[in-house]
Amino acid sequence: MDIGLVGLGKHGETHAEFLEELGHTVHAVDLDPRVKERFVERFDARMYEGLPELYSAGLDAAIISTPNKFHETAAMKAFEADLDVLIEKPLAHDLESAERIAEGADDSGNICMCGYFHRFRNRVQLAKAYVESGRLGEVTHIDARYMRRRGVPGLGTWYTSREIAGGGALIDVGSFVIDLVLDFYDWPALEQVIATARSDFGDRSDYAYLEMWGEDDEAKMYDVEDSVTVFLEFEGGRTAHLELAWAANAQRCHEYNIRGTEAGVSLDITNPLESVDPSAEQVRDFRLYEVRSDVVDHYVDSEVIPPANDPFRDELATFLAAVETGQSPDRCMVQQALAVQRVIERIYEATDRTWV
Amino acid sequence: MSEGDSQPRGEQIKSVATAFRILEAVRTRDRVGVTELADALDLPKSTVHHYLSTLAADNYLLREDGTYRLGLGLFTLGAQARTQERIFHVAKPNVDRLAETTGEQARLVVERDGHGITLYQAAGENVDDPPTYAGRVEDLHCTAAGKAFLAELPEDRLDELLSGHPLPYRTENTITDPSELRETLAEIRDRGVAFDDEERDAGVRCVASAISDREGELLGAISVSGPSDRIDDERFRSEIPSRLRNVVGVVEFNTTYSEWSDAV
Repeated sequence: MDIGLVGLGKHGETHAEFLEELGHTVHAVDLDPRVKERFVERFDARMYEGLPELYSAGLDAAIISTPNKFHETAAMKAFEADLDVLIEKPLAHDLESAERIAEGADDSGNICMCGYFHRFRNRVQLAKAYVESGRLGEVTHIDARYMRRRGVPGLGTWYTSREIAGGGALIDVGSFVIDLVLDFYDWPALEQVIATARSDFGDRSDYAYLEMWGEDDEAKMYDVEDSVTVFLEFEGGRTAHLELAWAANAQRCHEYNIRGTEAGVSLDITNPLESVDPSAEQVRDFRLYEVRSDVVDHYVDSEVIPPANDPFRDELATFLAAVETGQSPDRCMVQQALAVQRVIERIYEATDRTWV
Repeated sequence: MSEGDSQPRGEQIKSVATAFRILEAVRTRDRVGVTELADALDLPKSTVHHYLSTLAADNYLLREDGTYRLGLGLFTLGAQARTQERIFHVAKPNVDRLAETTGEQARLVVERDGHGITLYQAAGENVDDPPTYAGRVEDLHCTAAGKAFLAELPEDRLDELLSGHPLPYRTENTITDPSELRETLAEIRDRGVAFDDEERDAGVRCVASAISDREGELLGAISVSGPSDRIDDERFRSEIPSRLRNVVGVVEFNTTYSEWSDAV
């Protein structure tokens, strides 16, 4: 297939790598000459000057991985060109922009997926299946944490600019967590939010760069939150507690504790995207906590061991299959991404954006 | 216009040059009479009168009680010139926001022919009477925006600007020694932020940061200024520089991706 890549940063490069492996033709555009140059050195892609040229090149689909603020223009023009679109998460830098994208996708009738790739992780899919099958009884609370100790992405690049990214740790790593929590609860209505956001690390000259994600550009912008604590109450009294951080003096983790009336699940997906599952420090990937009454009442703690997979690649394969068949995928569609964006907005409102 | 004035001088038309000299002289004096102007420019009174009435007929000057001041015809030209500067459109909302968040005077300054020109300015809530205006021309060596520009210039261009041009004294803090200025510029390059600590006007502090595009071309600078008693050391060295870096970073991103944003 002929796939257009809009935005050639780190995510764009990962997409290009997989697309080339799968034998597809990559057509690419970025407006930053430095980013373009680096991309051209690595990939044998057809390069374009702008969106009009790219979108009239006979593409089958477009993948948008620009800075968040520019998702909308790239997506809307793709819909106008009758293209199916995969947009990197979050859907947009703010709710209004996300709503316009969702409306544009609906009006055009094209497939529009958003890159919440953790949903393609086998362990996550299995946890979701356990919830759906009723194995856990009724799920009443989810405790979720995505915390890095020193992991502000590209400190000083657009990720740390409120205007370009739309926010910090919440809209970046937090959006993944919100997507999974909403999916485990099957997209419930949100009733109450209590949240606090902090910015404790960005301006510190003693910040230790131990887990850099992306590049360290000229350290210019930093006006976003680097950690957030959130309590959510959904319809029916179901709750979630979220700890989200780019930088915190705490154990690095990405985990979900799903508590049902019959059983509970603890799901640890701390492995960063770059490492191969499971990593050495991972002691419990996935556990099921039950109580049984054979002979005597007793606990059953089971280790669940599904095969590891590469969720980023599976997400891309799902998108490409959808483009080929014209059938919408069963997850990560634009309306769910919009629901995530609504919760993000509610959380930011609850913090009063007081950290800057 | 007299015959003699329209003789070409090199590639310049002398009468046009004279007209602009007169406009410039009116600008520096706010309002001025024919005699004063003729004396200042060393031109015959009748010639000056001729120029003034020609310019006034087309609204480029305004005659009031026997004196002349600049007319709004010039504003039409200037405002139009400004709308054609891409950086103006990209930076304007950010300059507004910077004025709002700091409460002080925020400006977008561009460099032309070795001077800084204020392209746009916005006043925060602390500013009663803005001390500068859009279009104002300033020296580079004694202003924060100017030094931010100088710090970005290639070495040969800097040599050209500094050689043979004295650095005029404005206050006791003005850097008038070229080698001291070069040292300051090196610090500005490292830090990405330039300071004017009462170097142009006593009692006024200013912080600025240059805006470049991805090819390294200098597009302008954004500055925040205010009275020293309001801009204390903490605001001067930490808070305002941090806000400026955020804003300049955003403007640079929006410039790079202007085709993909609503900013233009």
